[in-house]
Amino acid sequence: MSPRGRPLSFTRSAARILELSLGQMLWSRRSIFLAVVTGGPVVLSAAIHAIVRWTPAGMPLVNGSRMTGAGVYGMMIWLLYVRFIVPVLGVFYGTSLVADEVDDKTITYLFTRPIRRSAVVVGKYLAYLVCTVLLILPSVVIVYFVIVPLGAGPGIGANFPSLVIDLGMLALGLAAYGAVFALVGARLRRPLVAGLVFAFGWEPGVLIFPGYVNRLSVAYYLQGLVPHAMPDDSAVSAILQLFSEVPPVSVSLSALVSITLVTLWLAGRSVEAREYVLEQ
Amino acid sequence: MTSRTRYFVIVSLLILTIGLGTGLIAYYFGLPLGAAQSATDDLKLVPHDVSLVAYADVRAVMVSQVRQRILEMLPAQGNGAQDFESQTGIKIDSDVDRVVGCLAPSAKGSGQPLAGMVLVRGRFDEAKIDALMRAHGAREEDYNGKRLLVGDVQVGQTGSASLSLAFVESGLVAAGTTELVRAAIDLTHGGANVTGNEEVMNFVRTFDGTDAWTVGRFDMLTASAPLPAGATSQLPLITWISASGRVDSGIAGTFRADTRDAESASSLRDLLRGIIAFARLQTGSHPELQPMLDSLQLGGTSTSVTLAFDVSPQMFDQLATAFKGLQRRPLTPR
Repeated sequence: MSPRGRPLSFTRSAARILELSLGQMLWSRRSIFLAVVTGGPVVLSAAIHAIVRWTPAGMPLVNGSRMTGAGVYGMMIWLLYVRFIVPVLGVFYGTSLVADEVDDKTITYLFTRPIRRSAVVVGKYLAYLVCTVLLILPSVVIVYFVIVPLGAGPGIGANFPSLVIDLGMLALGLAAYGAVFALVGARLRRPLVAGLVFAFGWEPGVLIFPGYVNRLSVAYYLQGLVPHAMPDDSAVSAILQLFSEVPPVSVSLSALVSITLVTLWLAGRSVEAREYVLEQ
Repeated sequence: MTSRTRYFVIVSLLILTIGLGTGLIAYYFGLPLGAAQSATDDLKLVPHDVSLVAYADVRAVMVSQVRQRILEMLPAQGNGAQDFESQTGIKIDSDVDRVVGCLAPSAKGSGQPLAGMVLVRGRFDEAKIDALMRAHGAREEDYNGKRLLVGDVQVGQTGSASLSLAFVESGLVAAGTTELVRAAIDLTHGGANVTGNEEVMNFVRTFDGTDAWTVGRFDMLTASAPLPAGATSQLPLITWISASGRVDSGIAGTFRADTRDAESASSLRDLLRGIIAFARLQTGSHPELQPMLDSLQLGGTSTSVTLAFDVSPQMFDQLATAFKGLQRRPLTPR
């Protein structure tokens, strides 16, 4: 309630929930998982840096070709962040935005407040976004400065535009996946299982199919924003390149923003309309 | 918000700000530049609107193990290097540090499509070079306070070109088409040079750590080149081409072509895949060439295609063995 007794506006309600949930999300039991996921690439990059510095041969050879620091960085972005970390964070945190409150039986306390239920969803979603963005993006920056100067090839200055694009693309990916899985969490009973099947079954699988089916995935639009060419050194990548088309940047951007806004709105509507019966 | 959460937000934003700020400074001021740093000084004497610019760290190439291995592989080529040294006083192995070259559209009426120039930095016997040029009919001219040695050479059946050599500063020689050498002398006093050409410098910044590189406007080069009629229409819509390489115990390099659109890049990539596959079929009887083909790595972004290669010291050994085998094989008349 505002000091004058009137209900808070939607924006202020969401901001209050954001402030409340940010600390809960950061310092919860799931934080250990979050630390491993964001710290893993940093530790890996430090290990690669140490090995390259101390090994007389320098950067490793792949198919007879010596890799550059920028090449290794691009592979880490593609394989670690885009293919694994962003979807995993979206699944584990997005599906639990409302589900955790239901499981802990604390959702009643939130819904008795004079704020709209959808504001609770939006506030928690924003807390997830702030939390993951402020963890993932600094992790990417650290990996960039540790890996890119290694070996021959372009230095940190020349690759700076791709770092900026990567940061924007990962933030947009976190937003889109978080919104999609927030909807999954709001609608389904077992959202985590469904989320994992979607993130690691549907998303990579549908990209292989020709036709328009691949447009029903977030990864299809996200790959249009990745500045690094897909690693062309495996049969899977070769098949993916054969069948998949990369959408233009404008289409990818507008699609990802639309997916985020629409699924978040649907999640809010779902929470508003649903009746939560807590088990005794 | 608790103080712990507040500190976390502040630290994260600090890491992002410092990282992005450092990257931005490195992008605009080229930090670090490595090999490109030494080239930048000489690039200031290259005109702004060149079609192609190239750089080579001659000293690094000359002292590399690759050059030693190539000299061991190839039979003695006569006394060419010694003749060159006796005529000019220039010992390429030790006197030449680096070379910057460029091609630019010729002035109208010059009779040649392209004008060229090389800027050679090192240690030179000016008197000896002066005497050599005069012995070949060069005349001395004064241009903007610099001494120019100008000679006319015949090109083809009826054409001729005016070539010049100038000691721009101590340890720096500019040699090539007279108009470009004069432009280089003008640029010693300031003016629009290629370091202000952002399109070219974006490529130069990516060559950090390499010993030799070149970048050029493909469309301008093909417009000046005597290609067969209709040939340019058969090539993908390439705008820029570049190549860079590093020479130490092996040779590693990257070729890059930028295209006008993603479709052209995709077509070019398909073309190169086909060529590589064809080459693999042809090398079935030459297994020593297989590792070199395996080292080829195709990549790029939506509008660029890159082809990287790496010839390792072990591959040189195999090539040397194969080459010696070819030399020993007697020539039998059919």
